[in-house]
Amino acid sequence: MTTPSPFAAYSRRLLAFIERGGADDAPQFSSLARELFALQFAHVAPFRQLCEARRVAPDALPDWRQIPAVPTAAFKELEVTSLAPAERTAVFHSSGTTEHRPSRHFHNAESLAVYEASLLPWFARHLLPAEVGRVCPQRAAGPSEQPTGALGQTRPTFLCLVPPPARTPHSSLVHMFATVSRAFGASGSRFVATAGADNSWQLDFTAALTALRHAGQSAQPVILLGTAFMFVNLLDALEQRGLSLRLPPGSRVMETGGYKGRSRELPKAELHALITSRLGIPHASIVCEYGMSELSSQAYSLITNHASLPFRFPPWCRALVISPESGREVADGETGLLRIFDLANVRSVMAIQTEDLAVRRGDGFELLGRATQAEARGCSLMAV
Amino acid sequence: MTLPNYYLADLPPEAELSPLMVTETCLALKRNRTQYLAVRDTPSILRTLVRTADDWLSDDYPFRKLALKEGPAHTGFSAHTIATGLDNFFRQLTGENLEALLAQELGTIQRLDAFSASNSDGRTRRMALATGPELLGHITAGSVPNPAFTAIVLGLLTRSAQFIKCARGGAYLPRLFLHSLYGSEPKLGACIEIAEWRGGSGELEKALFAQCDGVTATGSDESVEAVRRALPPRARFAGYGHQVSFGYVTREAISGWRAKKLIAAAAADVVAWDQLGCLSPHVFYVEDNSVGFALHFAGQLAEELARREAAEPRGKISTETAAHIAARRAIYEVRAAHAPEQTRHWCSPDSTAWTVVFESDARFALSCLNRFIYVKPVFDVAEALRGADPVRDHTSTVGLAAQEHEMEGLVKQFSRWGATRLCPLGQMQNPPLTWRHDGRALLGDLVRWTDWEQ
Repeated sequence: MTTPSPFAAYSRRLLAFIERGGADDAPQFSSLARELFALQFAHVAPFRQLCEARRVAPDALPDWRQIPAVPTAAFKELEVTSLAPAERTAVFHSSGTTEHRPSRHFHNAESLAVYEASLLPWFARHLLPAEVGRVCPQRAAGPSEQPTGALGQTRPTFLCLVPPPARTPHSSLVHMFATVSRAFGASGSRFVATAGADNSWQLDFTAALTALRHAGQSAQPVILLGTAFMFVNLLDALEQRGLSLRLPPGSRVMETGGYKGRSRELPKAELHALITSRLGIPHASIVCEYGMSELSSQAYSLITNHASLPFRFPPWCRALVISPESGREVADGETGLLRIFDLANVRSVMAIQTEDLAVRRGDGFELLGRATQAEARGCSLMAV
Repeated sequence: MTLPNYYLADLPPEAELSPLMVTETCLALKRNRTQYLAVRDTPSILRTLVRTADDWLSDDYPFRKLALKEGPAHTGFSAHTIATGLDNFFRQLTGENLEALLAQELGTIQRLDAFSASNSDGRTRRMALATGPELLGHITAGSVPNPAFTAIVLGLLTRSAQFIKCARGGAYLPRLFLHSLYGSEPKLGACIEIAEWRGGSGELEKALFAQCDGVTATGSDESVEAVRRALPPRARFAGYGHQVSFGYVTREAISGWRAKKLIAAAAADVVAWDQLGCLSPHVFYVEDNSVGFALHFAGQLAEELARREAAEPRGKISTETAAHIAARRAIYEVRAAHAPEQTRHWCSPDSTAWTVVFESDARFALSCLNRFIYVKPVFDVAEALRGADPVRDHTSTVGLAAQEHEMEGLVKQFSRWGATRLCPLGQMQNPPLTWRHDGRALLGDLVRWTDWEQ
């Protein structure tokens, strides 16, 4: 017998909100945000300390936007979680092989279920044709369940340019890819990369090429998921061999993340042009994703007329662009730091202060990149 | 006042430079030098420099007025910061200081004019003449103008034609200095060129270096090394790579009657050139034995920085730089909330104008600059030096605040450790003209000696 967690009732209400699509329901967002804030204030010690230092408490909160945001860097040095060590069944680390101390986002079955419930509908809406997206289960199917019957025929094949989950249990990105493959993918879906002992990822080009060629011969569309640097590695390898593929109609690409020195860096437009020419995926079928291990929801950016639309989170997750000078939200079209309020971040903290610079575009944002790589003026030493 | 188009840096930003333009400019500079500069003697150069410096110190000098009016938009520094920086530099440029510089570097003040003998030369029955390079190239980095100012002065002393290459956006104040020289002595101004281009523009730099017989470079270790590798073997080279600085305050100093002055001096070091020079402090180490001196110092410094901001605001910074400061502050806020006895922080309200972080960990921390300073308690010098060990080979200046009787012991420890400049707190970003940059000779690296044994 386990006693239900103090978060259980909240999670139920959130899942109902997600199931309804959550759209344009500001009062409901606000009420869930306040409820979650109170829970996290009570149960996440480093968060409560931050709130107390700022003299912010759940009983006197004028606006959910005032909920103190925890910097992603805090996940590296403190345990930003309400889960006791014995309750933690999974932990996601920030990516990167060079990071001395990664961020740690702890989960248990309950928080992972919310994570998946948040992930699937928004992913489906951006990556899947309507008829596949509609059948999406709210909860991911178990690993043994295979898609069958008429629906199975229409399921796309997922090819993930990341190592398989068993090799990378701490990657939230791999977990995400595994979850969507399981929920929406055909039985031939696979992972076509390997993880080294130092956790560096390597594209398995032979496996990728075999899978792509195989997919090219069938009518089933392919969903190709990967990081920007893995796409560059794939495209470079195709170019070296003089190969161009034509994936079936309806195929899509989702690319995410930066390069972190693991391949040559390409401007987005150039990367997308190469994807179109080497894989036969039209621009309009390329989707960019923005996510991080410290979050439980993802934002997507679609492309129309060769231009990227703003990134948008689902209605249960709001992004504000904050002026680094004043700490206030910037006006539309201005640049600032991205602050995210993710109602699906149940067992850590909902308000996350990222180090990512973004331009505010309506209720979405255009991503500019990591602020900590900003170049310094002056002749003083900036890196020892 | 609008500036005439004398220099390459006067061209509109869209104007593209070509290697051929650089080569032709260098050839013209050398011709002009032969005609106008090589024939000048030291006293006449000194007169020109001293007169120009006096002009710059006068409030109604048109070039100074222009620097204070247009400078903030070009450099990112506030008018007050520019005024203080200009005053500090041009006050140094006196006849006495220039003669002291020549005597220090070359043994006598006539060395560049005729064979002459220093005391030690006399004892060995020798005379010697020093000759400067024909064309000196200067590669400068960043937006603090002092390295370029100093380079120009040294180059004029050695009667060298000069080509100053500034980082993008870094040329404005050096350019005004050259225009002021040109205004009073056009022939002399015609022996110097200034241009801006992005570092590592290979073809332009290749064309420049091919014409130079002496080159100085400041910047990151990598870019200085890249310049050195790109030089023809015969060129003399003086490179100044990345440096950091810090301050050290003894408990006797901070508990004495001068405490208030000391805080003001520390703030002056943080405020000067918005902390962007290599001589600006990243950290103040404050001696403390759990009495709270360092914490008190940090709080007082924050108050002083707030006062300074009202009178002499920090310049405008890019959103990226502000974001860097905001991100750094955010993590200290979490740490301070989590363990207030180890971390405290003070921030300017509604802006990133200044930040003080008190951190009990003595390990050296690189500031994100723009008036962001660390205060760290240490038991003694030994603990500070252990903390600063990662930057040992990169330390330029240590600003000291101590009682007189403590000084001798302190300077011995810091010099043995490797610091190349020890100065009073408050003077860190204001070295004398004779300062041996990074512990090396200033002119000695550049001149060619001719010894005459009698």
